[in-house]
Amino acid sequence: MAAAEITDSLEADAFKKLYPDQFYARFIADGIRPDGRPLGRARTASIGLGAVSTADSSALVKFGNSTALAGIKLEIMVPKDDTPNQGQLSIAVEMAPMCSPDMRPGRPSDAAQVLVEQLNNALLASAKAVNLDDLCIDPGKAAWVAYLDIYVLDSDGSLADVTLLAAVAALATLRLPHVAVTDGGNVVPSSEAAEAAAPDEMAVEPTKLQLRSVPLALTCGLYKDQLIVGLTAEEEALVATSVTTIVDDQGRLIGQLKAGGRAEMDIARLQDCIEAAKLRYAELAGILQQAITQYDGSG
Amino acid sequence: MARRDTSVPYQPQSRPEAVVSDTGERLDGRGLEEFRSAFLSPHALSQAAGSAYAECGKTKVMVGVYGPRQSARATAFSEQGRVQCDVKLASFATRQRRRFGQSTDERELSGLLATALEAAVLRHTFPKSCIDIYCLVLESGGSELTVAITAAAMAIADAGIAMADVVTACSVSRVAGQLLLDPTADEAFREDGSVLLAMMPAANLVTQLVVTGEWSSAQMKQALCLCMGGCLQLDAVTRKALASSEEQALAAMRIE
Repeated sequence: MAAAEITDSLEADAFKKLYPDQFYARFIADGIRPDGRPLGRARTASIGLGAVSTADSSALVKFGNSTALAGIKLEIMVPKDDTPNQGQLSIAVEMAPMCSPDMRPGRPSDAAQVLVEQLNNALLASAKAVNLDDLCIDPGKAAWVAYLDIYVLDSDGSLADVTLLAAVAALATLRLPHVAVTDGGNVVPSSEAAEAAAPDEMAVEPTKLQLRSVPLALTCGLYKDQLIVGLTAEEEALVATSVTTIVDDQGRLIGQLKAGGRAEMDIARLQDCIEAAKLRYAELAGILQQAITQYDGSG
Repeated sequence: MARRDTSVPYQPQSRPEAVVSDTGERLDGRGLEEFRSAFLSPHALSQAAGSAYAECGKTKVMVGVYGPRQSARATAFSEQGRVQCDVKLASFATRQRRRFGQSTDERELSGLLATALEAAVLRHTFPKSCIDIYCLVLESGGSELTVAITAAAMAIADAGIAMADVVTACSVSRVAGQLLLDPTADEAFREDGSVLLAMMPAANLVTQLVVTGEWSSAQMKQALCLCMGGCLQLDAVTRKALASSEEQALAAMRIE
């Protein structure tokens, strides 16, 4: 009895490997996906904050199997001449070689660079989520550099969505220490500086970095003229084209990327993607807010 | 990605001078011969053939195993399969931020990891091909290599690749004449000698021994006993985790 069941599941596995398109098409015809989701539902998300204690802030985000770990390290730099009162946010994405069978160690992949561009666009260029003036310590003398490094640990689709949520979660929990610049040009904790000079204010809690807006993304795909929301790696290989839509907390469209593909999309379809992204936004923002409240409460 | 880093780290706190109190208690509250709390979990990744996540105190390591498959590098014919390892530390894993690109200490860790596992893997079962072991240290809280070896052996077992036995590893640091089992990064920073032992506990065979510093034979014997005790403890945790993950997989198959 048990043996027969196992043979059946082996045959289903073999069919899936040999004819992935037919396998998938049969599910979609019934309006359901192989993992049991309806076409319009993205995977459940989970956020773990402060997972890495050596980082100034960190976030582990999972969408189903897709996993990304974002960590921020703060360092100090001399501001650039043409922007004396601005710090810097430096974003990098690394696809860890364990994340997929196609990845090998060595040169950073092109896919990672595309993700970096999308993050730069979402966080700095379009949405201006981070105001670089907030990272200034002393104009012309010292400013923070926030190195935001995101490691993709498990690559199972919708990487743009996962990495953006991880980046936003890490930035939202980043705290900037209170520091002061001494006459010699050294940066010291402001409590030390206050002791040396006239103590007008003592050291207080580190300030939270304020996010000016909170952009989040959703990747949708087009399969046999049906819109599939929140793609897995298997689905990404099968869909004719995919579109990543980024919206912010006021429902504004921050960016949309249709990364090539074998099919075109009409304006109505793109509108559907934006509506789906707004729905997903409400869901993710709730989870993010809950995680941040819980993290702040625990200290 | 070429990033010109012209920034300097900000570190208001220096490393602690004394790592053991007068009462024989360590900074994290452990006794000298006490192990950090260990958490091991196989099958942590969906895409890899086998994988494991390991946490010992603050040290966190993720390992993914691929293969047996064709080597990406051109290699000569070999009747014995190859074990290729790549260890990386996340840029935010250490006190000071690490630059991108493989550093010499990562190459050393990769080499040591490969030799510790080679003896246990039955390499004649996959001639002409290789297994790739990718290891990422998410946070480096000391003894990364021992955690990586234990996790990698677990990931190989998870991938269903034949091994003579699982491998567990454990290290001892000597700080001011005292032996500390399973040292943290702060403790290892103050050490004047260290022993790392990787072994196959059921077979009672040593796959790797790395000793640094000057040791008397009596103290060496004591350190080795400590390491072996640690390896046996980890072995129990490893086997339990592997068995329960296997049971879960079977149960899931029955439901399908």
